[in-house]
Amino acid sequence: MKRKHRKIKLFDVVNSIVMILIALVCVYPFLYIFFQSVSDGYSLVNGEVVFFAKGWNLEAYKYIFQNTNLNIMQGFRNSAVYTVLGMLFALVMTFILAYVLTRRSLKERFAIRKLLVLSWVFEAGIIPTYILFSKLGFVDNPLAMVIPNAISTQYLMITMSFFNGIPEELDDAAYVDGANTFQILWKIYVPLSKAIIATIGMFYAVMIWNQYLFPQIYLKNPKYYTIQQILKNVVISDDGGTRTFPTVIQNGVLINPQNLKAATVFMAMLPIVCVYPFVQKYFKSGILIGSVKG
Amino acid sequence: MENIKTKQSRGKRLLQYIRKNRLIYLMMIPALGCWLLFKVGPLFGMVIAFQDYSPFKGILGSPFIGLENFMRIFKEPYMLTLIRNTVLLALYTLVFSFTVPVAFALFLNELKNSLVKKGVQSISFLPYFISSAVMVSILYTMVSPTTGVINMMLVKLGMEPIYFMAQPGWFRPLYVILQIWQTCGYYGIIYMAAIMSIDPSIYEAASVDGASRWQKMMKITLPGIKTTVVVMLIVAVGNIFSVDLDRILLMYNPSVYETADVLQTYVYRLSFQSTGFPDYGYATAVNMVKSVIAFLLVILTNKLSKKYAETRLF
Repeated sequence: MKRKHRKIKLFDVVNSIVMILIALVCVYPFLYIFFQSVSDGYSLVNGEVVFFAKGWNLEAYKYIFQNTNLNIMQGFRNSAVYTVLGMLFALVMTFILAYVLTRRSLKERFAIRKLLVLSWVFEAGIIPTYILFSKLGFVDNPLAMVIPNAISTQYLMITMSFFNGIPEELDDAAYVDGANTFQILWKIYVPLSKAIIATIGMFYAVMIWNQYLFPQIYLKNPKYYTIQQILKNVVISDDGGTRTFPTVIQNGVLINPQNLKAATVFMAMLPIVCVYPFVQKYFKSGILIGSVKG
Repeated sequence: MENIKTKQSRGKRLLQYIRKNRLIYLMMIPALGCWLLFKVGPLFGMVIAFQDYSPFKGILGSPFIGLENFMRIFKEPYMLTLIRNTVLLALYTLVFSFTVPVAFALFLNELKNSLVKKGVQSISFLPYFISSAVMVSILYTMVSPTTGVINMMLVKLGMEPIYFMAQPGWFRPLYVILQIWQTCGYYGIIYMAAIMSIDPSIYEAASVDGASRWQKMMKITLPGIKTTVVVMLIVAVGNIFSVDLDRILLMYNPSVYETADVLQTYVYRLSFQSTGFPDYGYATAVNMVKSVIAFLLVILTNKLSKKYAETRLF
């Protein structure tokens, strides 16, 4: 009996250690990039920055801020603007469409929902989409990041499944009191749906911020580049790192291309890392609704 | 006479119905229009797969050539490599990124300290929200032959540095590792939710009967999440052709095409990176064959999951 007890304890200890190790492995690449961005160039070249930063400084970030010809700050601003506008537009469109498609009084809703599933499962592919979107004037147009992707079928379905849980008698009661559909939506449904609005909004924001292929196809003018496109150009395509970034001494600190690359990568993920702790519970509930009902 | 009367009243009823719903219709127009134009609209553009499409003549002006584009697919010897790469990449992804999270959730659930449990769950979920561009950038930094941490360690161990990104043999493992890193926490949460919904009295009964921890895991927890696991597996099989295009485009380069080039990347290169006039019609035909197979797979797997788990996916 006693031996069994000890065995269980051992399992717990080993299991805890393994799980914490897994978490560390998950987060280590992000920390590695961060440490590289805040270390000095000498320590980097000597290979001393592995598990911790050496020679703490923020010169790499300052350099990126000051040298606007690198376009990194511009890409960051572009992405931020696309993300905020795109999220707001997508939220409004998704919210209204989900509300309409869950009204019992709308007889056409089943037909529309069928079409919805069809368009979800059967994608047209990038070329027919490109031909249409270029006809509509979305090539080299920042609105391409805001308008065409406004309604994601998956998030629409998550919102619809949430609305299905709200009794429609609420509508009827409000109608009797003389409210119209807009008022019902604004005064009853919006306050009731704060959680789902936060969830879907965050999903859209992450989706737009992270997009790479879509802007790569539509935004060819460097002044419209997103931060992800810039990453591709300065970190991935420029593997040696010497075409974009120089080695300089700034405020007495040596910074080399490797510092600057790491700082760029870290900036591209910073907004997500910053909001993640506050919104992860919404994300969790979002994927659970999506996986059960989606 | 009677016929006209019913017609009239039907018309009246329709009018009444429209009037009653007029605000709903009004609200629907922008959103539905947006969706129809941007999501359904491109579906009609797929006719160019049957055309000798030229951007100057447009869809209406280009001549129809029947199945010629599709016949070309079968004659193209490179297609075999593309299909092999697509299927193999999908299979490796399926095998590893599907089994790892199940094991992860099983052992995570055994953690007694709920703070550690929550922390591990939150941290492992984070990579799901990081973009492919950032992930691949980090990968490049870490495996760099001169300054990357991996190669520095290899050198310290007395080995030669490896040019990971330039060797065809390393493409699939690296792709799958990124996939596991990105989705392990995500699926972990889904499986954890399934574990939470298992009736706790079953565990109590098992404890009374003297079942060990391992036995409980294997005989109660695992069977308890069987339905979720099977549904997830079916979804994964249905999506077998949807590789992460962003990730491959960012990771690959001509020296690893022999393992990394898949149908989607080929279509992308044909249409956006070819020299001269891109062959839109042919590229659309290639994509259409892929879409049709993927569509049939999804329909089939949806039927299967309906039969097996009594839940349809949509």
